[in-house]
Amino acid sequence: MSRLHPRGNHQDSPNEPVPRRRKNALGRDPFEELASPDSATDGFTPLPSGTEPFVEPPLNPEPATQPRAKTRPPGERSQTSESNDAPMTDESTPPVSAEPSRGWLDFLLGEREENLQKAFESLVDAGTRYDRYGFSPTVAKQSFPFFRTLYDYYFRVSSEGHEHLPVDGSAVLCANHGGLLPFDAAMGIVDVALHMDPPRVVRTIVDRWVGTLPWVNIFYARVGQVIGTRKNFTDLLRDDQLVLVFPEGMDGIRKTIRQRYQLQEFRVGFVEQALRNRAPIIPVAFVGNDDQMPILYDIKPLARRLGIPVAPITPTFPLLGPLGLLPYPVSYKIVYGEPLRFEEQFEPDAADDPKLVATLAGQVRETVQKLLDRSRK
Amino acid sequence: MTRVLVTHADSPIGRRIVKTLRSDDSVESVLAVSQAPTPPEFDNRSRGPIPGLSYQRADLAKPRSMRRLFRSPTFESARVDTVLHIPWHGLAPLPPVSGLPRRTAELRLLLKSCREAGTVENFVCLGSAFVYQLLPGNANRLDEGSELDFDPDVGPDIRSWIDCDMMLHEPLNRGPFRTVLLRVPSVVSDDGSVYFNPSVSGRPGPRLRALGFDPMSAILTEKDLTQALLCAIHSRESGIFNVAGRGAIPLSQLARWNQCRSLAVPPALLGWMSSGARMLGNSASLSEEGPHLRYGFTLDTTRAERDLFFRPSVPNELVRQMPPPATG
Repeated sequence: MSRLHPRGNHQDSPNEPVPRRRKNALGRDPFEELASPDSATDGFTPLPSGTEPFVEPPLNPEPATQPRAKTRPPGERSQTSESNDAPMTDESTPPVSAEPSRGWLDFLLGEREENLQKAFESLVDAGTRYDRYGFSPTVAKQSFPFFRTLYDYYFRVSSEGHEHLPVDGSAVLCANHGGLLPFDAAMGIVDVALHMDPPRVVRTIVDRWVGTLPWVNIFYARVGQVIGTRKNFTDLLRDDQLVLVFPEGMDGIRKTIRQRYQLQEFRVGFVEQALRNRAPIIPVAFVGNDDQMPILYDIKPLARRLGIPVAPITPTFPLLGPLGLLPYPVSYKIVYGEPLRFEEQFEPDAADDPKLVATLAGQVRETVQKLLDRSRK
Repeated sequence: MTRVLVTHADSPIGRRIVKTLRSDDSVESVLAVSQAPTPPEFDNRSRGPIPGLSYQRADLAKPRSMRRLFRSPTFESARVDTVLHIPWHGLAPLPPVSGLPRRTAELRLLLKSCREAGTVENFVCLGSAFVYQLLPGNANRLDEGSELDFDPDVGPDIRSWIDCDMMLHEPLNRGPFRTVLLRVPSVVSDDGSVYFNPSVSGRPGPRLRALGFDPMSAILTEKDLTQALLCAIHSRESGIFNVAGRGAIPLSQLARWNQCRSLAVPPALLGWMSSGARMLGNSASLSEEGPHLRYGFTLDTTRAERDLFFRPSVPNELVRQMPPPATG
């Protein structure tokens, strides 16, 4: 019988010492490097004998039959952060033994972002420092200042209607999409994080195509974006998360300048999910996204040939090369509308009726369009 | 009281399972079977008789050896009613047997022998979760009904896992014994070794990785695996069950745990390099090209939790490594 290395072949002794090799820099992704400050990313050592095992509370509790989301009355601010606790943690989490280390990012971010960090931490699986979709609090925290800067100084975002956002429980944020690159989603995430107390992390549903893009797929996963499958959507809502969807899908980002701020056909899956999981739908209007990179013409045959969703011609692209893909520093406005509580009007079984679901999706589309038109005035 | 035969009992996972079974009050005896000479911990001669444990050497892929095992006095006296099959799970290619990959040949012969023996009532087998078809993205949440990867270009290692999986469908549907198939993701042992992962398990050496991709890997600790196997042995349910722990980690981190050098190459070259390495006889250390190098998955263990009462835990070691949460 051939002798193979004990680490990989079970026919050898497991007790044989394995020499540690020096770390290799080959093939590491930049986002992997970002996550390296986590102590959990280093190799772990075996537990001393006799250590009590950590028992995890059940994940994904059954969906409540009653609507769970509560909205905050205007002007009232939450006094506690308990409502945003993770479904993955409870009192059985090992006690805190030391003060957390404070780096330059902490000084840069301030108190609000410390709370945001707690919100980030609450999403990950205890033990692995990632959630099941690949979200990493470390990467999210490190990229937050960049998007915060864009939010404050580049897009100069103003927003209103935060009182409609639930302080806890699940909700589906349904918004218009546009502008070729999804800065609207990024600004929405930053806005919710900054204006909610305690901060909440918005999980955006993205197209499966994103998963095929090198590096982009890693970054998207690390900052909490989730590929839009039925199962993932259900799990996110069952975990009481805020889910941001763009029901126009790719049609939203390839709108030409003549179609700007005109909503395209809505997909209906989000309504079905909201009904089944008893979540309210909150219409959201993004003003500015359709101006950040107006598409003059979409060369559809070229896009099909290249296997990309859009082959745009903008005033600056391809004229200025890759630089032409930079969004223009337009002013963003985000408006959150009143929640549409279909879950109070219909039973979960109503999600099985495609006609009803399509009608409700049409209602949502109409509401978002009205909100958008009103916000632009 | 259950009397269990454990195959590949000399593997690290096998040893742990045998040890756990011996300490289980509802297990009367354990017959450990392996191709290797008697491991010291199973050796009756050097340490005296070990109550409830016997060891038999057999090559599971050879009909003659299997006949000898199933007709041996050890097997007769053990009165085995449950067979726990831990398939061969190293990555190093072993020579095929009768034109079949060794893993497939072993399972085929074992199933045949169990049918002929007539005394076996339960057949519990470990399978791989890498048999599922993966779609782009990290968020493939897979349950038992998810589609298997029947792509003809799938690598030989994963194909043999799929073959084993399919082979178990017959006893699952028709008997004659209760059959349980546990599909497991990457199994992580206490010392950081990784098994059952076609990307990082196996002999040390460079691992191919798709440049710009770092898929999430569902993980299962050895301890949880043992718990799942015990649940499967003692349950009355039959069927296919996904078994995984709570956590998921990126492939790059898993490779680091296993002390593998990961070599990121453009996805277009992965297939070429993988084939080239196989032709040069180096497929033992290079990972197999496949969607698992780009796209991650986690397992929905609801069915195992409901029917087998399997309760996955957070890996203790990882919890210890967590930085304390912020206070104040």
